[in-house]
Amino acid sequence: MPQRWNDSSPIYQQLADRLAVQLLDGDPPEGQALPSVRNLASHYLINPLTVGRALQALVEQDLVEARRGLGMYVKVGARTRLRTAAREQFLREEWPALRAKLRRLGLQPQDLNWEKQ
Amino acid sequence: MSDEYLVEARGLSLRYGAKTAVDNIAFNIPKGRVVGLLGHNGAGKTSLMKALVGLMPASQGELRVLGLDPLRQREQLLAGLSYIPDVAVLPRWARVDELIRLMSGLQPSFSAERARALLKRTSVSPRDKVKTLSKGMVTQLHLALVAAIDSRLMILDEPTLGLDVMSRKGFYEMLIDEWCDGERSVLISTHQVEEIETLLSDVMMLDEGRLVLNISLEEIDSRFVALSHDPAAAEAVAAAHPLLRYRQQGQAMALFDGEPLLPLETLGRRVRPSLVDLFMALTRKPDVQATSQV
Repeated sequence: MPQRWNDSSPIYQQLADRLAVQLLDGDPPEGQALPSVRNLASHYLINPLTVGRALQALVEQDLVEARRGLGMYVKVGARTRLRTAAREQFLREEWPALRAKLRRLGLQPQDLNWEKQ
Repeated sequence: MSDEYLVEARGLSLRYGAKTAVDNIAFNIPKGRVVGLLGHNGAGKTSLMKALVGLMPASQGELRVLGLDPLRQREQLLAGLSYIPDVAVLPRWARVDELIRLMSGLQPSFSAERARALLKRTSVSPRDKVKTLSKGMVTQLHLALVAAIDSRLMILDEPTLGLDVMSRKGFYEMLIDEWCDGERSVLISTHQVEEIETLLSDVMMLDEGRLVLNISLEEIDSRFVALSHDPAAAEAVAAAHPLLRYRQQGQAMALFDGEPLLPLETLGRRVRPSLVDLFMALTRKPDVQATSQV
C-alpha cells in the first residue's frame, strides 16, 4: 500500500490539512456534506477515530459543522477563511524567501510568465 | 470482570511445557477499537490468539472474551466470534455458495445474505471454486465469511501474509467499511507494522512473552518524542537517554519516552514518532536495549 503520510505531524493533522486543501478547491462546495467518517476511513485507510479527530480539527477551524444525524457540512464562508489564512501564510512565510531569490536573480515582474501555460 | 470490555486479561501466563509463551500480562479491549498485536516471531502473538479462542489453556491468571471463559465456554464463544487463524484454510474442493450454506449450518449467528452482499465488493463469485481463486481472493472470501457472523469481536492472525499490495488494500478497505462501526472491535496480529499503522486505534507490543507497550495511537503522539537532529548534536542527544538512536534516510534520529530535557528546536526537527521505530526501540534484544535505555 502506498505510503501517503509523512512524519512531520500527526496523521489526523495531515488528514485535516488535506481535507482543507480540497475545501479551498471547492470540494465539496460550501453548504454541502462531507463524505461520512466511514467513507473517509476506508478511502484513506485510516482508523475512524483518527478521521473523527481530523474532522474535529476542521470544526475548531470553523470550516465545517456537525449537523445532528446528518454528518459534517462545509460552513458558509469556509473557502474565504481558508483563502485568507493561506494568503497570510504565503506572505509571511514564503514570500520573503521568494522575493529575496527574485532580487538575487534580478528578475522583474515583466520577466515572469503570469499566464497559465 | 465487567461487561465493558470485549476482552479482559489479568495476570495471564501461557506455557508450553517448561517454555513460557506469554508471561503475566494484563490488558482490556474495549468496543469500537482496531488493536494491532505486534511482536517478532516467537514473541507470543499466536499463543495469545489461541488462548483467546479457547485453543490453549491459561497456566495462570484470568481471561474473558465476550464475557466468557474461552476454554470452558468455547462453543458458546465461537458462536459469536469472527476468527481467521494464521493457517486459515478453506476447503479447496468447495464452491463459494456451498461454503456459505455450510457456514449457515454451523454458525447460528451467520447471515448468508450478508456474506453474499460482502462478496459483491470483491471479484469472487458464488459459483467459483476455492481452488480456482487467487490467494488474495481466498483471503477476501474468508473475511467476507467471518464478517457475516453477527459478532462484536474479530480476531485476525497475520491476515494479509503473502498477499500483494492490491489484495492487502482491498482487505483493509473491506474491514473498515464493513466491520468497524464504532461498536465492534478487531484484534490484528501482523509483521507489517508500517502498513497498518494508520488503521489502528491501539497497539499492543509483545516481546518475549511480555507486554512491553499497550497504548492508543493518540497517546503515542503525546507521550513519545522523535527528533531528527544534526550529527553534531549526537552527544547532547545521547546524554538525554533516548530509547533508541537510529538513522533514517541518512538522517540521525532519536526517540524519547516523554519530553527530554533538551532544547529540541535548536538541535533539530521534531517529527511524528512512527510505530515501526517505537517497535524497534521496545523489542530489541535485551543487551542492545540495556545500553540505550535509562
